[in-house]
Amino acid sequence: MYKWDFAPVFANAGLLAEGLANTLKVTAVALGCGLVLGLALALLRLSPRLFLSWPAGFVIEVFRTTPPLVQLFWFFFALPLIAGIEMTPFVAAVTTFSIQSAAFFAEVFRAGIQSIERGQWEGALAIGMSRRQALNHIVLPQAVTRMIPAFLERSIELMKTTTLVATIAYADLLYQANAIAQKTYRPLETFTVAALIYFVVIFAFSLLARRLERRLAVGGESTVH
Amino acid sequence: MGQAWDFASVFANTDALIAGAIGTVRLFAICLILGLSLGLLVGLARYAHSRWFNIPATVFVEFFRNTPVLVQMLWFYFALPILVPLEISSLAAAALGISLNTAAFSAEIYRGGIQSIERGQWDGARAIGMGWGQTMRRIVLPQAIKRMMPALTNRAIEVFKMTTLASAVAYVELLQQGKLIASLNFNPIEAYTTIAVIFFVILWPLVQLTYVLERRLKRDE
Repeated sequence: MYKWDFAPVFANAGLLAEGLANTLKVTAVALGCGLVLGLALALLRLSPRLFLSWPAGFVIEVFRTTPPLVQLFWFFFALPLIAGIEMTPFVAAVTTFSIQSAAFFAEVFRAGIQSIERGQWEGALAIGMSRRQALNHIVLPQAVTRMIPAFLERSIELMKTTTLVATIAYADLLYQANAIAQKTYRPLETFTVAALIYFVVIFAFSLLARRLERRLAVGGESTVH
Repeated sequence: MGQAWDFASVFANTDALIAGAIGTVRLFAICLILGLSLGLLVGLARYAHSRWFNIPATVFVEFFRNTPVLVQMLWFYFALPILVPLEISSLAAAALGISLNTAAFSAEIYRGGIQSIERGQWDGARAIGMGWGQTMRRIVLPQAIKRMMPALTNRAIEVFKMTTLASAVAYVELLQQGKLIASLNFNPIEAYTTIAVIFFVILWPLVQLTYVLERRLKRDE
C-alpha cells in the first residue's frame, strides 16, 4: 500500500504560491487586453466596409478554430524568426491568449450589439446623436449587461487555458508542480495538490459567476451566448 | 524577414505528418465516444431525484469542469501509476483526461436538453402505459438530441482541439509531429504554420456546420 506524504509538497509551498501568482497574472493581462481588442475586432467586424470587416472576420475565425496550443507554439517558436524579435514565454503567452480571447469576446460583443433593437439606434440618431455617441451611450451599456454571463464563462475558460504556458516553460502553477514532482519524487501528492488548488480557485470564480448571472436574470435581462 | 519560406522541408516529412494525423484522429475518436457515452450516464444521474446518483454525479461534473484538462491529463500520466499497478501509456493518460473532461461538459448538455422537454411529453407517455426507461428512450431523448445537436457538435470541435494537449505527454499526434519536424529541420515557421493550417482546414467546415445547426434549430422552434 502506498504511503501518502504531503510534507515534501508543503515544503515547496512558496514555489506553488509563485506559480499561482503567475497564473493569475497571465489570466488578468490576457483578459484585459482581450476585452479591449475584442471590442475593436467586433466593431471592425460589424463595419459595412469590406476591407475592415473581412480581415477582422478572418482573425476571429482563425483564432476560434485552431487549437490554443498550436497558436501558442506558433507565437513562441515561429513568430520570433519571422519578425526577428526576442520572445519570452510570458510575452508569447500573453500575446496568444489576448488575441485568442479577443476573438471569442468579439463574437460576444457582436451578438450583444446586434441583440439591441433597431429602435434604440434610430431613437438615438433622431435626438441628434452621432453613431459613435449612440454606440457609447445607448447601445453598449444595454448590450454589456446581456453579455456579462458569456464574458464570465469565457474568463473561466481562459484561466484553465493558461495552463498551456507550462509547455513553453513559463513558471505558472502547473509548471511549478511539475518541477516539484521531479525534485521530490512525489508526483502523486504534488499533482493532486496542484489540481485541488486549481479547483478551489476556478470553482470559486464559477460560483461567483453563477450568482452574478442569477442576479442579472432576476433583473429580467435576457442573455446572449 | 530575410529568408524565404520553404515548405518543401515540411512536405518532405509527409509520412510523419500522416502518422500524426492518424494519432490525432484515433485519440479524437476514443475521447468523443467515451466522453459522450459516459456523459449521458452522468447527465441522467444528475437529472435523477435519488441522492445516491445525484450527488456523486454533481461532484464529478463540478470537479472536471473546474480544473484544467492539462492538469487532469498530467495527473493521470504521472500520479495515477503510483496508485494503481498499471503502466499508463501517453495515449491512455490523454484519453482518460480528455474523455472525463468531455463527459463532465456533455453531461450538462444532456441534462439541459432533457430538462427542456415539456412535462406534457412525460405525462402523455405515462398515459399510454410507457415506463421511465421507455419514455426516456423513445420520447424524450429523440426530441432532446435534436435540441442538443449544436452544443454537442461544439463539444466535438473542442475535443478535436484538446487532442493537441497530448503532445505534452509525448503522444504522437499532429502537433507533436510538428514539433519533431521543426526540431529536425530547423523550420519552426513552416512546420507550425502547416500544423495550424491543417487544423483550420479540418475544423472550419465543422464550425460552419454548428452555425447551420443553430440557425435551423432557431427556425424550427
